[in-house]
Amino acid sequence: MINEENIQEEKNKIMIKFDNVSKTYKGDFMALEEINLDIAEGEFISVVGQSGSGKSTLLKLIYAEEAATVGEVYFDGNPLSVVRKKNLSAHRREIGTVFQDFKLLPRKTVYENVAYALEVSGAPDEEIAENVPQILDIVGLTTKAKKYPHQLSGGEQQKVAIARALVHTPMIIVADEPTGNLDPIASLEIVRLLIRINELGTTVVLASHDKDIVDKANKRVLVLENGRIIADYPQGKYKIS
Amino acid sequence: MLLLITRTFKESIRSILRNGWLSVSTISILVMSLYIISVFFVFTSTANEMLKEIKNKANISVYFKADAEEGVILAAKTEVEKMNEVKSVEYISKEVALENFKRTNANEPVILESLKEIGGNPLLAALVVRANNPTDYQTIDENITKATFSEEVSRVNYNKNKELINKLNSVIETIQKIGISLGLLFAAISLLITFNAVRITIYTHKQEIEIMRLVGASNMFIRLPFIFEGIIYGIVSSVVSVLLLFISLKFIASYVSLTIPTVSLMNFYLANFGTILGYQILLGSFFGVIGGLMAMRKYLKV
Repeated sequence: MINEENIQEEKNKIMIKFDNVSKTYKGDFMALEEINLDIAEGEFISVVGQSGSGKSTLLKLIYAEEAATVGEVYFDGNPLSVVRKKNLSAHRREIGTVFQDFKLLPRKTVYENVAYALEVSGAPDEEIAENVPQILDIVGLTTKAKKYPHQLSGGEQQKVAIARALVHTPMIIVADEPTGNLDPIASLEIVRLLIRINELGTTVVLASHDKDIVDKANKRVLVLENGRIIADYPQGKYKIS
Repeated sequence: MLLLITRTFKESIRSILRNGWLSVSTISILVMSLYIISVFFVFTSTANEMLKEIKNKANISVYFKADAEEGVILAAKTEVEKMNEVKSVEYISKEVALENFKRTNANEPVILESLKEIGGNPLLAALVVRANNPTDYQTIDENITKATFSEEVSRVNYNKNKELINKLNSVIETIQKIGISLGLLFAAISLLITFNAVRITIYTHKQEIEIMRLVGASNMFIRLPFIFEGIIYGIVSSVVSVLLLFISLKFIASYVSLTIPTVSLMNFYLANFGTILGYQILLGSFFGVIGGLMAMRKYLKV
């Protein structure tokens, strides 16, 4: 029994660990309460729940935009309360972030938007010239490299954001409502892209309240309600009682 | 490191050019401050130079009676030299005095004629006393009247320049006071104006800053463009202000040299060009950097 557990641990190294985490915002608003959660390397996990259930806060704790009020979040074994103070930018390069509003720079082309992530982290020019076209190929935007964001559809813009998130070859992609602004077909495409990225070995944390795309992923589903985990299905569908 | 500096520097140049009018108004105010500070600097410096010259020329001439023996005068010289306030004492014998007199009046035949008519040497031997400090002449004068050789003294020609020195001193003091208070005022304005410019840049770059943080840009990468922005404002302003100073001095200098021939503002400017430019750049970038840092502290949460 003990042996089996050890083997299991070896196989699925824990990448993110929430250890009794609570998060209170100013004004005593309790966003997350006593969260205990392990996310293993290579996992695809969907976090679902209504607006205000704490999905975004959970994700913010992972990319260290917010700090836990109580408890500790560990990333690859390192406590994030320490990382936040000492090594935040390095931590952010381990994590690719994708948002509902894309967060693209309107005056930069697709290529420049992706290259920007490398530029500002001090990558040499040769590396940028080599990596960006590869990434654009993965998300299928090679032909649109010279377009500006406003010349693209919403789905395409989100693909640019995903490309930018991937350009550091992060250990994990954190996507907060990535399909919130997209039509159903574009949403499906984005979720397919995330699944493919996951199959290539990157851990994916997806927050969504879109039943279709969570069902489509058909992976682990974590259900939040009022800041608490009320269900954790290893492989399942979006179910809210 | 070099990559960091070149990339962030380019970024700040781009942002300065993009916010053209904001940059122009920021730089104008900075130029104004630096210009006013340096105008007062040049004025007080030249006035000080002037004062130094006049102070050097000031002296007390102690004339001895016609029958005073040279030995007595030389003894008096040593006595005067021992006084604390005295910087130097020069002995001018009757003969030397005559020579000097003839030389200064070489173009005045009437005076030379009358000198011949008198016959002999009507001039008196004298000690020319210079003080360490222009305010000491009073004391020196009093000491000489009390001295052992006072009976041999014919008259003491005391300090014609005293009033001029006092006047000049008070003028310099006033210029300095006005200069310092205006300088402080404009320094404060400069800080506020660069603070505001950088604040606006931070505001317009909100999106970029957010994305930079999300994709893991280092803190230096996020902050440096704003510091560079401050420095660039400072350097451009100081160069413009030095040019402006050159033009206005050239204009004023001709008037000043008409009224006070010994003073040359232009020479002072040219002789101290490096110092003036250096200080301006230092001061300008100081305003820029401090203003920028203040804005970053307040508006840029990294």
